[in-house]
Amino acid sequence: MIETDILVVGAGPVGSIAAKHAALGGADVILIDKKSEIGSPKRCAEGASKEGLKFLGIEPQPIWAINEIKGIRLVAPDGTDVWLNDEIKLPEAGYILERKIFDKHIAMDAGRAGAEIKVKTLAKSLKKEEDSYIVSCESMGEEFEIRAKILIGADGSESHIGRWAGLKTGIKPKDMESGAQFEMCNVKMEDYSVLEFYFGSVAPGGYVWIFPKGEDIANVGLGVIQSKTDRSAYDYLVDFVRTCPATKNAKIVELNVGGVPVGGMIKDLSDDNILIVGDAASQVIPLTGGGIVSGMTCGMFAGEVAAKSIKSGDHSKKQLSEYNKRCKDLLDDKMKKHLKVRNYLESLSDEELNSVATAFQDVKFEEISTTELIKKLVKVSPKALLKLGKLF
Amino acid sequence: MIVNEWCMYCGECAGVCPRNLILLKETDLVFDDFRCNECDICIRVCPVSALKK
Ligand SMILES: Cc1cc2nc3c(=O)[nH]c(=O)nc-3n(C[C@H](O)[C@H](O)[C@H](O)COP(=O)(O)OP(=O)(O)OC[C@H]3O[C@@H](n4cnc5c(N)ncnc54)[C@H](O)[C@@H]3O)c2cc1C
Ligand code: SF4
Ligand code: SF4
Repeated sequence: MIETDILVVGAGPVGSIAAKHAALGGADVILIDKKSEIGSPKRCAEGASKEGLKFLGIEPQPIWAINEIKGIRLVAPDGTDVWLNDEIKLPEAGYILERKIFDKHIAMDAGRAGAEIKVKTLAKSLKKEEDSYIVSCESMGEEFEIRAKILIGADGSESHIGRWAGLKTGIKPKDMESGAQFEMCNVKMEDYSVLEFYFGSVAPGGYVWIFPKGEDIANVGLGVIQSKTDRSAYDYLVDFVRTCPATKNAKIVELNVGGVPVGGMIKDLSDDNILIVGDAASQVIPLTGGGIVSGMTCGMFAGEVAAKSIKSGDHSKKQLSEYNKRCKDLLDDKMKKHLKVRNYLESLSDEELNSVATAFQDVKFEEISTTELIKKLVKVSPKALLKLGKLF
Repeated sequence: MIVNEWCMYCGECAGVCPRNLILLKETDLVFDDFRCNECDICIRVCPVSALKK
């Protein structure tokens, strides 16, 4: 049996940064991932905020921070668009990453900090034994066990680790956005430093995004809440790219799919000897579906708290609760706000979305007050304003 | 459960299975058919409709 202080299951960006900070804190760390290549296949539109990366102490490198974003274009079902520039704070805007390189870069950081990395290593089950977890693993036809004083579940939205340990990390279908995306070339964008979002029945319960990776290259994808429709995310995507002027002549070079947990962070983030991080803990911003920066920030907290707990020799839920507190301080209010806006947008019909876009089309958001915004909305769509009032 | 050849091994079905019965390897999906209550949630969420009973 292999013995270690901390075992991190999942070498996505969140698990890797947790492993890095745990190792920097002086603990013996093993980081495992079932994939043979960390970061691939990507399941992401690859948008990450500048501020967020800076907070994590990650210096953007041209090899993975491949396009800088300066604005957002919001498009209503009838094509009416609203432009936001970077003078107002844009969520998840900053860079478009090349996740296949970025994820590896973060894992390498963990390795350089001292963590041992095992690829093509699957965690199959676990059991609690005294003051530790024993995880059964499978790698290249070999079965073995790893005993860890602290287990960090960073296994993404599959989130087996938490559930095997008895935590409520399973995701309800209404809280899982089903995503499908093409990476495409020959995309005709208005401006390739601008993220584009399309709302309404093009993607029930979600939205369509065009995230530019270069002059004519973009991730074109969408998320739908499957309980709101009988058609698959892929079917919606095919329809969209066929009809949207920006993509109808574009060529597909990659297909990505995956679930995004958008229901808000789980309550039980830790227990004796265990912490859950990233998508596995639904640490995703509900409105945008962005989980890189929020998850990585919580991953950094998890690594730091786990290392501290190893130093103190106390691996109890109480000792680890500092992790819960730091995550909640960071995300609870933001999540609540984003969930409300998300619910609001979901409640609007295509016609109401068109009226809202018309009201805001020529607004300079950086110069206008909330009262003025409401006055504009009441003029074009009192119904949309009424729905807004009910939510807040 | 029948897993069609175009499954992308994304794990979305595994995340929503209320009984936690779907284990995703790098390129294999393993179902615990014995404990499955046929709620069909996994079939409905799949972004590429790759599952069939
Ligand atoms: C279509 C789509 C678009 C998105 N777009 C954006 C975006 O633009 N911006 C943004 O911020 N976020 C986006 N997200 C969300 C973002 O991708 C995730 O929040 C982020 O990847 C979470 O990182 P993670 O490390 O928690 O999980 P993951 O990146 O999913 O990593 C989990 C890792 O755990 C491994 N693993 C799982 N189970 C086991 C096991 N049993 N044994 C060993 N290894 C295991 C997996 O192989 C994987 O490598 C998007 C998601 C999707 C699906
Ligand atoms: S959700 Fe669909 S594509 Fe993804 S692993 Fe399950 S069956 Fe395969
Ligand atoms: S049908 Fe229901 S119980 Fe059976 S594997 Fe699918 S989600 Fe799980």
